[in-house]
Amino acid sequence: MQQTDTAQTKPFDGLNVADISGTVATSYACKLFADYGASVTNVEPAQGFPTRQLKPLLPKAQGGETLSAMHGYLHCNKASVVGNHYDLTAEPAVIQADLIVYDPATLPSTTSLSGIHANTCAISWFGLSGPYTKYQGSDGVIQALTGLMKGIGEEDGPPIIPNGVQAQIVGGLSAFNGALGHLLGQLMGNLTQPFALDNSIFEANMCLTDLMAINAFNENPLPPRMGINKFPPTYPLGIWPCKDGWLGVTTLTPGQWRSFCELLSLDEFIDVDFFNASVNRLASADLLEPAIIEALASYSAEALFHKGQAMRIPLARVPTMEELFSVDQYVSRQAFSSISMDDTTFLAPSIPFRLFATPPHFGGRVAALGEDTPAMTEAKV
Amino acid sequence: MSTEKLLNGLRIIDLSMGWAGPLAARNLADMGAQVIKVESCTHFDWWRSWEATPEWIADNGAEKALPYLSVNRNKLDITLDLEIPVGRQLLLDLVAKADAVIENYSGSVLPKLKLDYPHLKAVNNELVMVSMPAFGSTGPWANYRAYGSTVEHSSGLPHLTGSAHQPPAMQHVALGDAIGGLNGTAALLSALWHKQKTGQGQFVDLSQVECLIPLGAEGVLHQSVHNSPPPRTGNDHPDFAPHGVYPCQGDDQWILIQVMSEAQWHALQGLCTELSGFGALTDRLERRHALNNTLAQWTAKQKSSALMKQLQGLGITAATLSNGIDLLEDEQHKARGYMQWLDRAFVGSQPHPSLPFRNGPDPSPLQNSAPTLGQHNGEVLGGILGLSDAELEKLAVDGVIGDKPTLPS
Repeated sequence: MQQTDTAQTKPFDGLNVADISGTVATSYACKLFADYGASVTNVEPAQGFPTRQLKPLLPKAQGGETLSAMHGYLHCNKASVVGNHYDLTAEPAVIQADLIVYDPATLPSTTSLSGIHANTCAISWFGLSGPYTKYQGSDGVIQALTGLMKGIGEEDGPPIIPNGVQAQIVGGLSAFNGALGHLLGQLMGNLTQPFALDNSIFEANMCLTDLMAINAFNENPLPPRMGINKFPPTYPLGIWPCKDGWLGVTTLTPGQWRSFCELLSLDEFIDVDFFNASVNRLASADLLEPAIIEALASYSAEALFHKGQAMRIPLARVPTMEELFSVDQYVSRQAFSSISMDDTTFLAPSIPFRLFATPPHFGGRVAALGEDTPAMTEAKV
Repeated sequence: MSTEKLLNGLRIIDLSMGWAGPLAARNLADMGAQVIKVESCTHFDWWRSWEATPEWIADNGAEKALPYLSVNRNKLDITLDLEIPVGRQLLLDLVAKADAVIENYSGSVLPKLKLDYPHLKAVNNELVMVSMPAFGSTGPWANYRAYGSTVEHSSGLPHLTGSAHQPPAMQHVALGDAIGGLNGTAALLSALWHKQKTGQGQFVDLSQVECLIPLGAEGVLHQSVHNSPPPRTGNDHPDFAPHGVYPCQGDDQWILIQVMSEAQWHALQGLCTELSGFGALTDRLERRHALNNTLAQWTAKQKSSALMKQLQGLGITAATLSNGIDLLEDEQHKARGYMQWLDRAFVGSQPHPSLPFRNGPDPSPLQNSAPTLGQHNGEVLGGILGLSDAELEKLAVDGVIGDKPTLPS
C-alpha cells in the first residue's frame, strides 16, 4: 500500500567502498553499503579475511575448501581482490575508494595506508586513543564493560555472556551511520575535507546501557540483576511457557495490566489499585507470578498472542530458530533471503530497513577469495 | 567543518516517541540537522511518563524524566493537537518545508489521522518518510504493538542466550529500542543521501524486530546450514576453555575471562599457579567444570578491576562486569571525554554520551539539552510558518498548543 514508484537504481550506486580488514564490524558496515548498491571491494590478504574462518561453517564439499556461512552473510554482493597489506597505497580498489574501512589491529604495518588522502573509517574495539587501546577485545568484553552482561542471569550469578557477534554488529552499524553522515555532509557541501573517522565498538554499544550511567549520576538506585527474564521497571515482563510454546509478555501501563488480567481471567488482581503502578507490580512479583504461570500454562501461546494484541497488549510469540523461517509475518516481508556461496545456498537475515523506491539487494552471491583480482589488475593496466 | 554542523540545512520532523525513534532522530540532530519534535499536551512522549497523574504534572514531572532527556537533546520541541483540524494542518505546513519525517506509532495511528505517507507526500513530493513500527508497515502483524522487550521476544534471540536448562532468556529490558534506533538513523541517512543525489524522496519501512535478527545471525545461519539451532551452552564455549564469568572480591563483583589461544592460556597459568594441573586444550575442554571451579576460587580473592588490568597486561581477554557508577568512572571513557555535560532546566547538569564516532581526537561537542514541552512553539510556528503572536495566542487558548501536559478528560 505504501509502496512508492519502484526503480532499478540503488542509493549508493557509484559509491566505491574498500574494506581492507574484514573483521565482523568492518564487514557489517560495508555490507550495509553493498546491500544498497555501493561497489564494495574486499582487499584481502593472501590467507583471506578473518571472517572466512568464522562458524557456522558450510558442510565441506569433497575436496573443497571449508567455507564460512558467516562470511557469506557478511560479504555477499561484494568483490574480492588479494592485496599487499604492507603497502595498500598501490591497490586500485584503495586508490579509487570514496571510503576506506579498516580496523587498525589487522594492518601489518602502521604505514599501510600512508599517503592515502581518501575518507577513512577506522572501527576498533576501543577507539584509537585511551588506555584500553591495546586491550584484547571481544563481544563479551564489550558487553561486560558496557554493563549489559551484569543484568543477565540468575540473581546469584554468574551473569550470562550473550551469544554471537552482537557487539561487533552494533559497532559496524554505528560506524555505517558515522561514515554515511560524513559522506552526506560532503555531498551537501558542509564538509570539504576528507574525514578520518574513529569508531569505537565500546562506545557504539553504550547506546544499550548509557541510561545506567545517567541514573547512577542522579543517584537513582541501581537496578539489580533480578533473575532470568526479570528487569526493572515493570512486571509482568518476561517469557513464560504456554501449552504450545513460549509467550513474551510486557505490561507497562495500567490499561495493559488490566487487559492482561482480563485475558487470563485473573479477576482477583484487576481492581487492585496498588497493582496499577508498574513498580508496585514488580515489587509484588513473587505474589503475582504463581497465578500468572498457572494461567498461561493452560492457554495456547499462539491464541493468546493474537487475542492479546487485539486487546492492545504487547504480547509476542518467542519463535525458535527453526520457527523463525516460517513465521507468516517474516515470510511475507522476506525477512530472510538466500545467499549463494560456491555451490551452496542458505538463508540469512535481510537488511532490516527498506527504501521502497530504491529497494536493497535481497541475498546474493559471495565472491571467492581473490576472484576479482584479475579484473581489477586489468582495469589498472 | 566539525561533525555537529555536518547536516546543517536538513530539517526533520520527529513524530516518534519512547526510545527507538527519538534515538534515530537524535543522531541526526547531533550531526547538525534541525530536528523538530512534535508532541501534544494530551499525547506527550510516553517516555516522560506512562503513568501520569495530577501530582506528577504539578511537580513538573514531564521535564524530569531522564530517559526522555537522553534521546531528545539537540532538538526543537513543539506541541500540536493533531486531532484538531488546525493542528493537523499546521503539521502538514511544517512537513511541506521539511526534508524528512520519522515516526514509530503502531501502524493504525497515522492513517486514522490522515497523516500517513500518501497524505504527507501530497504536500511534499520530495519527502523522505521513515516509519518504524515494531513489525514493519506491511504483513499481517503490521498493526501489532510492541515495546523493545516485545521486539526481543519476537526476534528469536532469547533462544540463543543462556543454557539449555533455562527458559529462553532476555538480555535487556528493551533491547529492541536502541538497536531499532541505530537502524532508524541508517534508514534516514540512506534515504536522505539518495534524495540529495536525485531529488527523489521516498517511503522507508523499518521493522524493529528485523533490526534485531542480525544480532542472532549466528543462530539463524546455524539453523539454515545444519537444520538445527546452535546448542545453548551458557557461558561455556565449544572451542575454548577457560571461558566464563568468575566471581571476584565484593558483592556481585565479576570478571569475564575468555582464553582463546594457547599463548593466553600459558600467560594465565603463569599468573595463577593453581591452574598448573590443567594441560592442553583438549584436557581443559574435557575437565571444564573442574577448571572453572579452580579458576573461580582464585578470582574470588581478586578485585575485578585490578585483575582486568593485570590480565589484559598479559594479553588475556578479560573484562570487569561494570554497573552504572563504573560507566561514569571508566578510564577509557574519561580519557576520550566520552561523557559530556549539559545544563537543563528542572534537572541541572546532566551527563550525555557522545556520538560513538569522531573525526579527530575529540568527540563532537553537544550543543543543547533536551527541550521542554512546547519550548519552541514560537520559534517554529512563528519563525518557520510565519504565525503571528496573536495567532499563537489563539492556538494556545484553543488547546492546539501548550507547554504543560494535560490528562485525558
